Amino acid sequence: SAGNGAGVAAASQNGASLAALAVKFAERQRSPHCLLVKEHQVREGADTAHPPRRTLFVLNVPPYCGPDALSRLFSRCGHVQSVDMCDKPGPGEKKDKLTSKFFDHKTPKGFQVAYVVFRKAAAVQAAKALSKEGPLLISTKSHPVKTGISKWIASYEASIVNPKELKAEVDAYMQDYDKKTAEEEAKAAKEEGVPDEEGWVKVTRKGRKPGLPRTEAANLRVLEKEKQKRARKELLNFYAWQHRETKREHIAQLRKKFEEDKQRIALMRAQRKFRPY
Amino acid sequence: MAGSPEAAEEAEQGPEPPAGDAVRRGKRAAPTAAAPQPAKLSRAELYKPPTSEELTQLKETEDLFHSSLLRLQIEELLKEVTLKETKKKRIDAFLHEINSLLSTIPKTPETELTDQTWLSKDVKVPFLQVPFSVKGRFHFVPPAELKVVGSYLLGTCVRPEINVDIAVTMPREIFQDKDNLNQRYHRKRALYLSHIAQHLSKEKLFGSVKFAYMNSNHLKPILLLRPQGKDEKMVTVRLHACPDSGLFKPSRFYPSKNNVRTAWFMEQSTPKEGATEPPTPHYNNSILCDTVMLSHLHFLSNTATDFPGMKDGLALLKVWLNQRQLSKGLGCFSGFLVSMLVAYLLAKRKIVKMMSGYQVLRSTLQFLAATDLSVTGISLAQDADPSLPSLDDFHQAFEVVFVDPSGLVNLCADMTASKYHQVQFEAKHSMEILDDRMVDGFQVLLMTPKPMLRTFDHVFHLKHVSKLQGTCKKMQLLNELMDRGGNYVAAALPFVVSLLARGLSQRAQLVAHSLPQIPEWPIDAEPPKHKDVGPLTFGLLFVPEFAASTLEKGPQADHPEALEFRTFWGDKSELRRFQDGSICEAVVWEASTVCQKRLIPEQIIRHLLKLHADIPESSICYTGALLESVIKTGKEAQGTGEEAMVSVVCSYDDLSRKLWNLKELPLTVTAVQGVHPALRYTDVFPPIPMKPVYSFYNKSKHLLYPSEEKPCPAYITPLKIICHMEGSGQWPQDKGAIKRIKAAFHLRLAELLRQQHQLVCRPAVTHTDVYKDGYIFRLQVAYHREPLILKEVVTPEGMLKYQDTEESRQLELETLHLPYLTSSLHGSPQVGFLRFLNLLATFDWKNNPLIVNLNTGLTDAECTEIKNKFVAARSHLPVMFLATPKDQGSSMWTRERPSAQILQRLVLLALESLRALEEQLMAPLSDQDVKMVFRPPLDFYDVLIHLNPKQIPRHLESVDRPVKSVSRGVVKNSSAMNILFPVVDYDPVQLYLQELRDAFDDLALFFYDKHGGEVIAVLWKPLSFKPLPFKASSMKGRKVTTLNNELVCIPNVEAILEDFEILGEGLVKSVEAHTEKWTI
Repeated sequence: SAGNGAGVAAASQNGASLAALAVKFAERQRSPHCLLVKEHQVREGADTAHPPRRTLFVLNVPPYCGPDALSRLFSRCGHVQSVDMCDKPGPGEKKDKLTSKFFDHKTPKGFQVAYVVFRKAAAVQAAKALSKEGPLLISTKSHPVKTGISKWIASYEASIVNPKELKAEVDAYMQDYDKKTAEEEAKAAKEEGVPDEEGWVKVTRKGRKPGLPRTEAANLRVLEKEKQKRARKELLNFYAWQHRETKREHIAQLRKKFEEDKQRIALMRAQRKFRPY
Repeated sequence: MAGSPEAAEEAEQGPEPPAGDAVRRGKRAAPTAAAPQPAKLSRAELYKPPTSEELTQLKETEDLFHSSLLRLQIEELLKEVTLKETKKKRIDAFLHEINSLLSTIPKTPETELTDQTWLSKDVKVPFLQVPFSVKGRFHFVPPAELKVVGSYLLGTCVRPEINVDIAVTMPREIFQDKDNLNQRYHRKRALYLSHIAQHLSKEKLFGSVKFAYMNSNHLKPILLLRPQGKDEKMVTVRLHACPDSGLFKPSRFYPSKNNVRTAWFMEQSTPKEGATEPPTPHYNNSILCDTVMLSHLHFLSNTATDFPGMKDGLALLKVWLNQRQLSKGLGCFSGFLVSMLVAYLLAKRKIVKMMSGYQVLRSTLQFLAATDLSVTGISLAQDADPSLPSLDDFHQAFEVVFVDPSGLVNLCADMTASKYHQVQFEAKHSMEILDDRMVDGFQVLLMTPKPMLRTFDHVFHLKHVSKLQGTCKKMQLLNELMDRGGNYVAAALPFVVSLLARGLSQRAQLVAHSLPQIPEWPIDAEPPKHKDVGPLTFGLLFVPEFAASTLEKGPQADHPEALEFRTFWGDKSELRRFQDGSICEAVVWEASTVCQKRLIPEQIIRHLLKLHADIPESSICYTGALLESVIKTGKEAQGTGEEAMVSVVCSYDDLSRKLWNLKELPLTVTAVQGVHPALRYTDVFPPIPMKPVYSFYNKSKHLLYPSEEKPCPAYITPLKIICHMEGSGQWPQDKGAIKRIKAAFHLRLAELLRQQHQLVCRPAVTHTDVYKDGYIFRLQVAYHREPLILKEVVTPEGMLKYQDTEESRQLELETLHLPYLTSSLHGSPQVGFLRFLNLLATFDWKNNPLIVNLNTGLTDAECTEIKNKFVAARSHLPVMFLATPKDQGSSMWTRERPSAQILQRLVLLALESLRALEEQLMAPLSDQDVKMVFRPPLDFYDVLIHLNPKQIPRHLESVDRPVKSVSRGVVKNSSAMNILFPVVDYDPVQLYLQELRDAFDDLALFFYDKHGGEVIAVLWKPLSFKPLPFKASSMKGRKVTTLNNELVCIPNVEAILEDFEILGEGLVKSVEAHTEKWTI
């Protein structure tokens, strides 16, 4: 459409090598969304998950377009190695190899950004050239994308877990965890009371002489105790000037209260809070 | 949603967009007054030596008022209600002109009283002349004296109605002997006023000349004069015609004397032989009132000298009475009456002239609260003249007794005992509020109107007061009718009220009635009839323990009182044998559900009024529970869910016992807490036991799934239960590991419940669902240290710190805070709802924290601290701030929602709903459709997404129940064992809403009535359409375009509208876009 063309022109005008691809859910939709794509660029070269040149950075991926659909869309440009989707652009993290089937699932929500990693750099340019073609279709006859009722029913089905599988996974994780903590404890026990290179000894709560816990609450408790001790020692109303002070303080308090109240009243008056009916 | 508190749920009932177009286009309509800042005085100012004036003022504030705030508030209020000096001058000038006009009215020749042909046709005599024929002759002579009396001179008139009373003394020559008899005096007075009215109506000076009944008492017509032009609303001058002093012998009007002859009243030619005439105390009182007007003025002005606090005190008292609707109508507690009461208290030294206005208010309320004038009357008469009637004589004749300084007039003659008790009740209640430092007494006492609907648990209307004529006949009230000059409403009312009070004896602590009121009328109209008072309203305040009891136990069958009981209850009374073996008279009311039991008072009232007062049921409009129709479910079940919730709780109790005693669990269960609203009796539609119909679903591997071809299965709520496990060293101290251990517990719980109790369970990672007695319980294991572990942060110095995170907060809300919420709703649901709306609408959310002192868990000091902290940190706190004993400083339930706009809209809607409801509930003669306030107006929104009713699982809960219902794959059953697990917690609409909000949260707001709404209403956010500079992170759902050679992005609205349909495939019927409402 005309609007889209303007978008592309503008994008290239700005110097940024952004290209706008029109994308529709299926044939019968009339108004396409536009995906903005460009070559992924990293300043420091820190992003190892998304190698530069081979990676296409995609903005504004509609909610019904998952990694599979996206990979299919771009497969015509070249072999797609991986598709990584997230809420907002940012350095990709190395994915943990041990992905769990049951825990720490983050389902993508709403409009996403995606990093499409191709095998070859040429595919990135090919993808950008797609902007000259008609709208891409996310859901096709051969590969329909489920939305609405059928999607929800499917995810309801998926939400029912197999207890045996879950149990196996939990057991494996906990074994691993127990092993790790045991190692750490063993290490701590070995270091107990042994001075480091500079001669410092680490005091923990586990040793023979446990130190104060290093927490904020404990620090506050100590301070509070100090304060109380000081307050106990102080004599009140002992000297005449102390008496005077108390009286002055009382009047000052009343004045302060009065002033506060006056202010509140002024505010209420401004809001016409005094009309009874 | 299942676990959020009630307030939040209310807020979600219907689509509620932020108010006004102004808001959506980015401008705030409300005045943006700055939030209060803590007052700052410089040190020098704080500690400078006080002047003696300042010292006394500070001291006075401390002694005479609770606080300086109250003092200032009262001063402001007084400024608002008292008459301004400039207006006084204009009024005085107006009075002078009236004075000169009145003396120029010409005399008329003498005629018979019944010959009224000399009067112009433009004036109708303001008196119901029934029977018409009466002896006596009348002619008009200009008034002997004109005198301003009443509150204007004392300076105690209070806005909004400024009245100036003028006593017009009728010269002696108008009257003859025996004018005290048979309404002759009244007719002459009415003719006198008619003639004045006729002349004044021709004058250009007046904006209006009208008649009215003084306090709606038809025995006392008065003439109302208002100035011309824009001053018309400023003042009303009321002319009272009164006799020359000494015209009548006072002893003729003692309460035991008769001045209306039966024969005359019944229009019989000759009196019955030997019959004694009944006393006519009200009639007598109506004449006496006129004779003492001037002396009352003197008395009150004596009281008011050197007593500055009286003026203020009276103004406050009048506002107090006005707010409680006690100061207008027949038998009201008028401003004059309260002035006399203050004078009485001064005479009795309960008030001294030193007191401030606030103290006068307090002392008067104190006195009212403690004294029952219907039992122990009071008198202002100084010297005990033995010839005067005694207080006992007055009690014989009147229900409430307060005798004036002359010892003759009862100032409370028209007041019913019930009305006085209401005044007393209000006074008691107000005293409690004044003594409670937690409550803002000023607001509650003086600023908040208290209409009957919000005061009483149940309210009902007597639609046609003319039916009270039948009541008078049935109760044989001829003497009272004569005494009241034929006013059957006034005659019957005290008897009807005491009948109801007797019938509801244990159940109601207060039976009150509205005051009959007759509006003023133009002088060329006939005076209003008795039936013109409109519907009478009665209010009932219940004793919660007894109000709904089904049994009325009477005396034993062989006791003499049994007969009385039988006649009182009529055919409802029957003999019953009780468990202790006694056989007693008793009435048993039919009611099976709590909802029906709440309406037993209605049954009683309808029965008694029919039996004893001859009032047909069709004349009674009972508005005690009209709103309940919204929450009634099903065709056969007549309840409002209480029974269903009790059965849920029983099943829950049993399950929690089983959990406690579960064997072979690695750690013991330390606490089981239900958090679903049904478990604290606050669910709107509590679950009912259900069993799935297998054929309705897709089946695979012994699991049931919803089928795409069938309608959405009925929504089955999981009832969430938190199951706290014992703390132990075995728990890991790592959040990932804790999650796994909890999952292991969920698996284990499911297994053990199946093995040991044969319950069908389905474990998941975050919970275990248990099917029991037809309900689904969702068990969630909690470990008390988990939120703490989620919060742990180690600072660079190696110190361990606890910091709230989103995750920890959510977990704490679910496991720690939610279980504290308990039900504290009492009284009738309807009045509760009205009061809730009123609170929402009138509470000053911006400047005050709403402190909910549950079980008085907060002390004075804590409350003050909450308020101080609130003021200091206002801008960082949620717009709607709630403080409870368990949550004093953070208002955790309102932190996320509502937003400022939504709150504003909520307040507006609450206000409008309240107004609409009160209008409907107080108008028994019109069609009542209380559901109106539950139907959201849809014309306001930008886009409407219409849903397919078949896919709305809770369609049956909607406000207007669907005419035809579809099968939803479940049948009622509570005993099923060994079944396939039903489809739980599957609500496509909620899933759809979630997806919409996830995708378009920064562009639009989505509104939906979760109880079966058929429409999702969409409102674009005010700033959505503003072109944004191009940024990678702001590209969601937008398209790029150029504006002034700049790259900007704007929402891709056409595509988004199609997305609405794509995302809701199968659920969305159509998307209706009001494109005319926005421009890009």
